[in-house]
Amino acid sequence: MATAPSGTHNFKVVLLGEGCVGKTSLLLRYIEDKFNDKHLTTLQATFLNKRLNINGKRVNLSIWDTAGQEKFHALGPIYYRNSNGAILVYDITDEDSFGKVKNWVKELKKMLGSDIVLTIAGNKIDLEHERTVPLEEAESYANMVGAQHFYTSAKLNQGVEELFLDLTRTMIERYEQNSQTDVNRTSQVVVVDDEAAPPQTSCCSGNKTN
Amino acid sequence: MDGTYDEIISDNPFFVELKTEYVNLFQHCITQSWVICVPRIGSLSTRVFTVEDFCAHLLVPSDELPETHYSTLTEKQVTVTNKVITLEVTKGLPLQSHILFEETFYTEDFIKYKVWCIETPLEPTANFSDNTISKEYLTSINDCIDLLWTQAAGRQVLDQIEHSVQSFLKSHPTLPVAVAPLRDTVSELYTQCLQIALQNRRLRDKSKSCKQVLENIKLAVECYMQHLLFDALFKPICTCCAYEDSHLNKKIRNMCDIQLRDLDIKKELYHAVPRAKQILSKIDTYNTVLEKVLCVKQALNAINKKDDSNNIVLLTADDLLPVFVFLVIKSGLPNWYSQLTYMKEFRFSSAGKGDADESAFLITTLEAVIEHIQSGALTGSPDPESYYYESNLTEENVNGTRERKNSLTESISTSDTNGKEETLEYIFELIKANHCEQVQAILQKNQKHLKAMQLNENNVLKITMENNLTDDDDDDDSDTEIYHKLCHPLCNCKKCCCKISKNLLKTSPTVTSRDSHGLTALHVASIHGKANIVESLIEMGAEVNATDLNECTPLHYASSRGHQNALLLLLHTGANINKANIDKNTPLHMAVNNGHLNCVKALIYFAEHSRRKIRINCVNESGNTPLHLASKWGYEGIARLLIENGAEPSLQNRYNKTAFDYAHNLKILQVLKSCTPNLYEYIHITSKDVKSLNCKPNSPVGVKLQKLKINENNNVSKAVENLKLIDRILKAISYGDVKLACFYMNINYSAYMDMKNKPETSQQSAPCHPLCECSVCKKNTDSYSSDFDINFTDTNGFTALHYAARYGSDELCKILIHNKANVNCINKKNQTPLHLAALNNKTYVIRLLLDSGANINAIDMAGNTPLHDVCAMGNIGAAKVLLSYNPDLSMLNGADKTALTLAKEKVHLTIIDLIDKYTNGI
Repeated sequence: MATAPSGTHNFKVVLLGEGCVGKTSLLLRYIEDKFNDKHLTTLQATFLNKRLNINGKRVNLSIWDTAGQEKFHALGPIYYRNSNGAILVYDITDEDSFGKVKNWVKELKKMLGSDIVLTIAGNKIDLEHERTVPLEEAESYANMVGAQHFYTSAKLNQGVEELFLDLTRTMIERYEQNSQTDVNRTSQVVVVDDEAAPPQTSCCSGNKTN
Repeated sequence: MDGTYDEIISDNPFFVELKTEYVNLFQHCITQSWVICVPRIGSLSTRVFTVEDFCAHLLVPSDELPETHYSTLTEKQVTVTNKVITLEVTKGLPLQSHILFEETFYTEDFIKYKVWCIETPLEPTANFSDNTISKEYLTSINDCIDLLWTQAAGRQVLDQIEHSVQSFLKSHPTLPVAVAPLRDTVSELYTQCLQIALQNRRLRDKSKSCKQVLENIKLAVECYMQHLLFDALFKPICTCCAYEDSHLNKKIRNMCDIQLRDLDIKKELYHAVPRAKQILSKIDTYNTVLEKVLCVKQALNAINKKDDSNNIVLLTADDLLPVFVFLVIKSGLPNWYSQLTYMKEFRFSSAGKGDADESAFLITTLEAVIEHIQSGALTGSPDPESYYYESNLTEENVNGTRERKNSLTESISTSDTNGKEETLEYIFELIKANHCEQVQAILQKNQKHLKAMQLNENNVLKITMENNLTDDDDDDDSDTEIYHKLCHPLCNCKKCCCKISKNLLKTSPTVTSRDSHGLTALHVASIHGKANIVESLIEMGAEVNATDLNECTPLHYASSRGHQNALLLLLHTGANINKANIDKNTPLHMAVNNGHLNCVKALIYFAEHSRRKIRINCVNESGNTPLHLASKWGYEGIARLLIENGAEPSLQNRYNKTAFDYAHNLKILQVLKSCTPNLYEYIHITSKDVKSLNCKPNSPVGVKLQKLKINENNNVSKAVENLKLIDRILKAISYGDVKLACFYMNINYSAYMDMKNKPETSQQSAPCHPLCECSVCKKNTDSYSSDFDINFTDTNGFTALHYAARYGSDELCKILIHNKANVNCINKKNQTPLHLAALNNKTYVIRLLLDSGANINAIDMAGNTPLHDVCAMGNIGAAKVLLSYNPDLSMLNGADKTALTLAKEKVHLTIIDLIDKYTNGI
């Protein structure tokens, strides 16, 4: 979120998606690169810090994995508040998981507006022959909602690094745009395109403002 | 603990020089994706680097094991394990260096290369400067104190912080009871403390040289401040969160028997859960946010330990939440919400770093867990009365036989699975699904059968006569019929015998059947709160006080699950309201523990209404009264109800804790003290927890009570008991109830009356014989040997005699004086009983006191004698009496006035006249 005095960007990224689509594998694959996976502590499977230096810009990525079970869906806002980026993972062999991604996109757009950078990841491309989510549909949907779309395979280590790198670059761009327009930004109204109800005004909404 | 150390690699002179002076080497290195090691900034001496220096820090991955084995460009072998680089050297021990962090660089053309920031240079010969910065991580309050002490070379910084915290506490005797202003106030103090720390020259210099030191100092200051402030700070937080905490507790209490499998936690993690639970339940012993967060982290890390077969089981995000939910539920802590608020809102030092670090992740996870429990997603509907158990049993498949076997999900019973329609489990399933009629029909049928069988046994001949009693046209193959189908009621043929024995062998469940846990149908109906089934079972003659293996009656279950209707039905049928189960918990305990206000009300009001006595202060196995539980879990409404119905907050449990000790917030405390307003100050002094809230240690009451406490040998409850008794005595006196007061004071009133009626001589007479025990002698001795200290005082220093004098009870005065009450005792304002009698114009008492040796010229705090009081008040009768006992008229009070002057000021003419007459008379 904030930029430390030294010019380092601290970005928070959440991983969202249905259970069994391979969020955790994706995350593990991304770190495995780094050190031997034998030395992961508990939290490194759910929380990861990664330092990047892209073209001289330092970025400290904090990646938060979330539980995929449906019963924990309601806890989403607690996790994704103040996020700079979200990676929405689906399984290309499972159409339901893509539907879930659509729900998440809708929810994130509603709650966080355009402050959050979205990336959609179609995982398990090693199972291309079992694909049920059509390629064009996924890409055109991503285009429509202004998200990047990647095909990944945690198993074959394909597309994982590209995904994180691209997301980070977009977050830096977004951050710089925002700080340029920071002066008149407060008066801007974020226009939310959706057919759903206006932002929740229930008494329980306190937890997303913190 | 990755990410604690930080420095900007691109400013590191070693890296800069490599990049600018050795461009070719650098380019080659990144195109080959070799790893560049950069010694951290403090470890570098300022000398010029040579090519060899750089080559020694460029690692080429080996072909076989690119992850762990490297060689430097100087042809040395390097291995990496667990973030430690080991460099083989020709002579001596291998050189080791920690990897502080890894940074992945991307060039403009997106060529990737990795840089490791390492602790010490990878050169055996390098004589690097040894200003070793403390790179260790702060893990406890001791670390923090240590850091501030050693880095500042002395304890003056610590002392100054302590001083400013003290003065902060003085200037804020009551902290705001709302989180936002509370946080702002404390954050101001934090800034102040941090300024103090950075005013220290050493700390400032060190923090300038390295960013990490500054971070550590910030954290240390925060921890030390929180450590000092915790007692004062956490109470208001608890009070803010009282509502959330009590609701959360209610939720948690009601699912405290949840099992790991209910949460879909994978089996591989089971073994580590007890250990994690143990760690996590200690969270309330830590005072600082840092330690609390670390506690959570350790608890979760404990789960990741190797299992028996040495496999590491990774705790992934999918398991993290369920496991954490389980740990929180089982931890038994009463104030999770307060803990969370504290951790979330009072983490000042990390404010600049954004809220995405590991601590933030842990806190967020805790928040999610609490939210999940709070949402009731685990239990279904939040209101237990409307709670309908999930069951596959619907109207349709009740008729299908096979499916219902699959629906037996609950572990209620496993005893009988012989495929019969009417197994006990089936009945329990029906009860759960609220199929009242079916349950009734099956049980009645079986009951009938049983009855018939018994009759058959007793008198087979009568069977035929029984047949008219039943109108069982719907049960076409009813079992009673069997006896009518026999060849003859007494027939002994093979066919008939077979029929009868088959009948006898039938194991159909009845209203009294029990499963392997000792549960009857009534238990199950009570557990699930099916009031109509409870009713019909009772009608069928179910035993209301039946106990299961845990000695729980249906009433226990109804009250612990919060089923008010079922509970009332059971009570009206005569269920034992005070029955204790195996842990000595009564139904009241159960209802209170699970926070069911409606059931507590039902129990108490029913007892009141039916004039049955409910033991409101009864204790369970661990010595807890229901009030202990209400206080611990923060159920305000229940606590109030219990107090109103005579619950005693000063009782101690097995751990010598009273309900006061368990109160986590002011709201509960106020409820508790509402029954004993006079004791409140006393409790402040004795109970450490409460002390910080509103203590006035220098007041005379405090001093006196502290003395009392010592006398009482720290026996708090006895002292409280005494004070309550005193309160009762003084009340009795003020109502003029002499008999009651005497009773309380253990004075034999009738003996006194006897004595009064008898001539003077008999009172003085010696006992018939020195050892005589006849009633007359005994009474005489009794009246003197009261073991009660007659000169006891209440919190304002009033004795019984003060009260008797004030309310003009001459009879009681006599009794008290007779029992050697001190006539000149003084209260807090130095007033003797005579003062009070004079003020209230009790002439008879004045005479009595003066006759008994009261000092007529006693002065109170304002320097007034009784005569002064009388003159000021204009009490003519009292003035007359006093003057007849020769008072000193010349005495001056605090305002240098005589009694006469006072009377003149107030223009009490009669009194002026009386005094004039008196002086003239002399």
